[in-house]
Amino acid sequence: MQKDKFFRDIENVRHRNEELVKTHCSYCGMQCGMNLRVDKSTNKIIGVEPRYDWPVTLGKMCPKGVTAYQQTNHDDRILKPLIRDDASLKGTKEGFREASWDEAYDLIAKKFGELQEDYGKDSLSVFSGVSMTNEKCYLTGKFARVAMGTRYIDYNGRFCMSSAAGGFLRSFGVDRGSTLPWTDVHQTDCLFIAGSNTAECHPTSMFRVWAVQERGGYLIVADPRETPVARRADVHLDLRPGTDLALANGILNLLIQNGYADESFVNQHTNGFEETKELVKDFTPEYTSMITGVAVEKIERAAEIYGKAPNAIVMFARGVEQQHKGVDNVSAYTNMALVTGKIGRPKAGVATFTGQGNGQGGREHGQKSDLLPGYQKITNPEAVERVSKVWGIEPEEMPKPGVSAYEMFELMDNKTIRGLYLLCSNPAVSAPNLNFVRGALKKLDFMVCGDFFLSESAEYADVILPSVSWSEDEGTTTNLEGRIIKINKAQEPIGESKPDWLMQVELAERLGKGKHFSHLKTAKDVAEEFRLASKGGVADYYGATWDKIDEQDGVFWPCTDKEDKGTPHMFLDKQFYHPDGKAKICALPYRPPAEEPSEKYPLRLTTGRVVYHYLSGNQTRRIKFLNDMCPDPYVEVHPITAAEYDIEHDEVVLLYTLRGKANYKVKITEAIREDTVFVPYHFGDLESINLLTIAALDPISKMPEYKACAAQIDKIKVAGKVL
Amino acid sequence: MTTTTTTRRKLYMELENCIGCRACLAACTQCGGHEQKNRNYVYDVNPLVNSQTMPLMCLHCVDPACARSCPAQAIQIHETGAVLSATVDKCIGCQNCTIACPYGIPKFDEEENLMYKCDLCIDRTKDDIPPMCASVCPSNTLQWLTEDEIADKKQATDVGNDKWVTSMPYLEGETHVTVNLPGVLQGTVKLF
Ligand code: SF4
Ligand code: SF4
Ligand code: SF4
Repeated sequence: MQKDKFFRDIENVRHRNEELVKTHCSYCGMQCGMNLRVDKSTNKIIGVEPRYDWPVTLGKMCPKGVTAYQQTNHDDRILKPLIRDDASLKGTKEGFREASWDEAYDLIAKKFGELQEDYGKDSLSVFSGVSMTNEKCYLTGKFARVAMGTRYIDYNGRFCMSSAAGGFLRSFGVDRGSTLPWTDVHQTDCLFIAGSNTAECHPTSMFRVWAVQERGGYLIVADPRETPVARRADVHLDLRPGTDLALANGILNLLIQNGYADESFVNQHTNGFEETKELVKDFTPEYTSMITGVAVEKIERAAEIYGKAPNAIVMFARGVEQQHKGVDNVSAYTNMALVTGKIGRPKAGVATFTGQGNGQGGREHGQKSDLLPGYQKITNPEAVERVSKVWGIEPEEMPKPGVSAYEMFELMDNKTIRGLYLLCSNPAVSAPNLNFVRGALKKLDFMVCGDFFLSESAEYADVILPSVSWSEDEGTTTNLEGRIIKINKAQEPIGESKPDWLMQVELAERLGKGKHFSHLKTAKDVAEEFRLASKGGVADYYGATWDKIDEQDGVFWPCTDKEDKGTPHMFLDKQFYHPDGKAKICALPYRPPAEEPSEKYPLRLTTGRVVYHYLSGNQTRRIKFLNDMCPDPYVEVHPITAAEYDIEHDEVVLLYTLRGKANYKVKITEAIREDTVFVPYHFGDLESINLLTIAALDPISKMPEYKACAAQIDKIKVAGKVL
Repeated sequence: MTTTTTTRRKLYMELENCIGCRACLAACTQCGGHEQKNRNYVYDVNPLVNSQTMPLMCLHCVDPACARSCPAQAIQIHETGAVLSATVDKCIGCQNCTIACPYGIPKFDEEENLMYKCDLCIDRTKDDIPPMCASVCPSNTLQWLTEDEIADKKQATDVGNDKWVTSMPYLEGETHVTVNLPGVLQGTVKLF
C-alpha cells in the first residue's frame, strides 16, 4: 500500500450486526474510497463509513459521497420495467405502466426488428454514459455493434472528457488523464490549474492542493470566477470565458522568451518547437491581456513562477475543454510542460480532472463512435480483426464508425436515426441547445431507456428498463489518475432491477445474437472477456485482474500481463506514444468563442457545477441533504453589472440567448468578472441552462461550447411584483 | 503499519482551508446517535463578496457555559473532555444552554422537546477514531491531531499576532478544540 504523509492507521467503527463493504463513490472521477454499512439482518445498505486506508482520498468525501448510499433504497427507484403505449405523452412523466421483463424485451425486439427491416441496420442507435463500470461500458459497445448491428453508438463523454482525450492524443499519442498518481500532487512545487473549480468538482483533491502552499509552493488558477480554489491562489488569472488558448500561448511565449525552455528535452523528445515558438511570439503580454482581460503583471508573474518551479503540474478541466477549441486548449496548456521539460518524472506532469466516475475507462473501451475496446480504432483493420475474434464475428460484420453524441441528435431530427437505446445518461438536461435536442428525442419512433431513476430523458422513452445503482453490482472503474479500481456489490438489486450488462445479454438473446453473449453469466465473466478484448490496444487492461487490483490498491494502465504491476507514472523513459517516440508541441492559432458578445447579447454566459450536485442532477436532486443545500439554479452576477441592470440579490430575472430562455434568481457576488454571468447546469425542465447554451462543436472532439456564449438579462420584476 | 501514537488526539481547525462543501454537515448526520440531524454549521464569511466559508462547531469548552447553565445537569462532560448532548431523561427543555453558549451551538428540537449538540462523535472519539466531520473534510479544515502535531502546527503558523487561537483571551474560555483563524500561510516561507 502506498502511504504518504497524510496516511493515518485508523480502525473503522463497526456497529453490531453490521458489515462494511469497501468500495468507491458512485459519482466523480476522484472515485473516493468508502465503506458501505450493510445491516446483516436485512442485508440492506444503511450508511457510510470512511475508508481511511484508501491511498488517494484517505476517508475523505464530499457531501455527495457521504450521502451516495441513499440512492440505493430510495423511494424513487424504478422497480419494474415500464411501458408507455400512448406516444403522445412523450416528454412527460405520464402514461407508464408496469410490465414484465418478458413483455418489455419482446416489445423492444419487435420494434427494433421492424425499424431495421424498414429503414436499415443503422436506423437504431445507442447513447450511453461513463458513470458505470468498465465492464458495462465494454459490453455496451459490443451490444451496439454485435447485437444491434448499428454504427451509431456514442456517449456522454463527448460532453465531458473528449477534448482532454483529443488533446492528449495529439500531444502525447496516448490519452491517460493524468501522467502521474494523485499522491504526487501535494509534493510538487507549483500547481497551474486552469478551468477547474477543484474545490466544488473534485473536493477531495483540495487537501493536497493546500498542502503545496503550506510547503511554500505556489498555486496559479485560471478561471473567470474566483472559485474557492482561486480565492487562495498566489496568482488568479481571471480570464474571459473562452480565451484560454490566448492565455496559454501568452504564457508559453514568456516561458520561451525568458529562457525557461529545456532545450535538450525539447530537442530529444519533442517535435514542433520552432513552429510553435514562432506562432506564440505574437502573444506578447499586452496582446494576451487584451484578448483575455487578465492584467499583464499577472500573466508575467504566472509565467515566472511556473518557469522557476523545479517541479510543476499543469492541471485542467471542463473550463478549458468545453469550448469549440477545447482540444487546442488542452494541447496549448500541455505545451507548457513539454517546452519546459516538466514531465516524465515524479511530481511533474499534466493532468485533467476527469469529470465522471469512470470518465477515463468509459472512453477507452468502445462506446465512442470510432473506438473499439483498449482504445483501438475501428478504422484500423488489425484492431477490427483482433476484436472480431474475441466477439466471434467476421471482421466484415463490424459496423463502420458512427457520429458524435450531439450529431446523433441531428440524425434523429432528420429521421436517419429512428430508434434509441439510452442508458447511463440524461441528455435532455446535459446536452447543449436543449430545445433542439428535446425536439429530436420526441421525433424518435421508438426509444428504450435504462436507468434507476426516471430522468428527464426517460420521459421520452417508450420502454424504461430498471437498472441497478452502483452498489448492487460489481466491476471496475478507472479513476482520474488512470488507476483501475474495484467497485463492490453491497446489496442485492432491489425490486426487479438488473445490471445493464445482464439486460444486454438477455436482450441480445431476443435479438438472435445469443451465441455472442449467453456465456456471460456474471460481471466477472464480462471482465475476463473485456481484458482480452483490450489486449494489444493502447489502453491495455489485460494484466489488470480483479485480484491484482485488490492486492495493489488499484492498477494503473497500461498493464499488459500477469507480472506487470501497471504504470503509475507515464513517460518515465521519456518515450511518448507517437511512432517516433516523441511528444508534439503544437502551434495553435487563437480563435475566439463561436459566439462573441454583441449589442443585443452583451454578456458572456458560462456554466458549471456546484459541490452538491452531480451532472444532470438526476441522482443528487433526489437526495434530501443535497437538494436542501441547493434546490434551485441561480445566475451569478457581479454587483457592478447588477447595478447596471437595476437588479437585486434574490430577484428573479429572465436570462436568454439566441437559442433559449429561462428565469433565474440572481446571486450577487464579487467573485465573478463584470462581463460574465454563471449558471449551474444540474437542473431539468424549464430550469435547464442548456436551453441557452450553444452547440458549437470542437472540430476534433465534437465537444460543445458549454463554457462561453453571448447572453442578455431582462428585468421582470416591476414595483415588487413578478410579471 | 504506521506507528500509532498513544497520545489522544484532538480536533484542530484551520478555518482558512474551508471550501464550503458542507461535507462535515452531511457526515455529522451519519454518526451513530445523531439521528440524521447535523450538529455543526458552516457560515458564509463574506456573502455577496467572495466564497470564503467557515465551519462553526462546538469547541468543547473546559468549563462549558452550556453545562453550567443547565438546571437539570443534563449536559455531561465525558472523560475525554467532550461536552455531550443532553441526556434524554434529564433535559427539561428549558433552552438555557442555547442562550448560554457564546457560539450558539446547542439547538432545540421542538418535537422531541430536547436539546441537541455536537458530542464530538463520542462513540468514535472515545476510541480515538476521528469524528465524522474531521474524517471526511476534503480540505483539511478539520483535522484530528495529537498534541505534538498541534504544537508543530502552532510553531509553523503562530507569528505572534492574533491569528493563532487556542484559548484565552481570544475565545471566551479555554477549549479542547484548537482553532487556527485565517492566516494559516502567514508563517510559510516560499520555496523560491
Ligand atoms: S463526488 Fe467525487 S469527490 Fe465527492 S465523494 Fe464522490 S468521488 Fe469523492
Ligand atoms: S467539510 Fe471541511 S471544507 Fe467542507 S464545509 Fe466542512 S469544514 Fe469546510
Ligand atoms: S462551545 Fe458552546 S456548546 Fe460547546 S461546550 Fe462550549 S458552551 Fe457548550
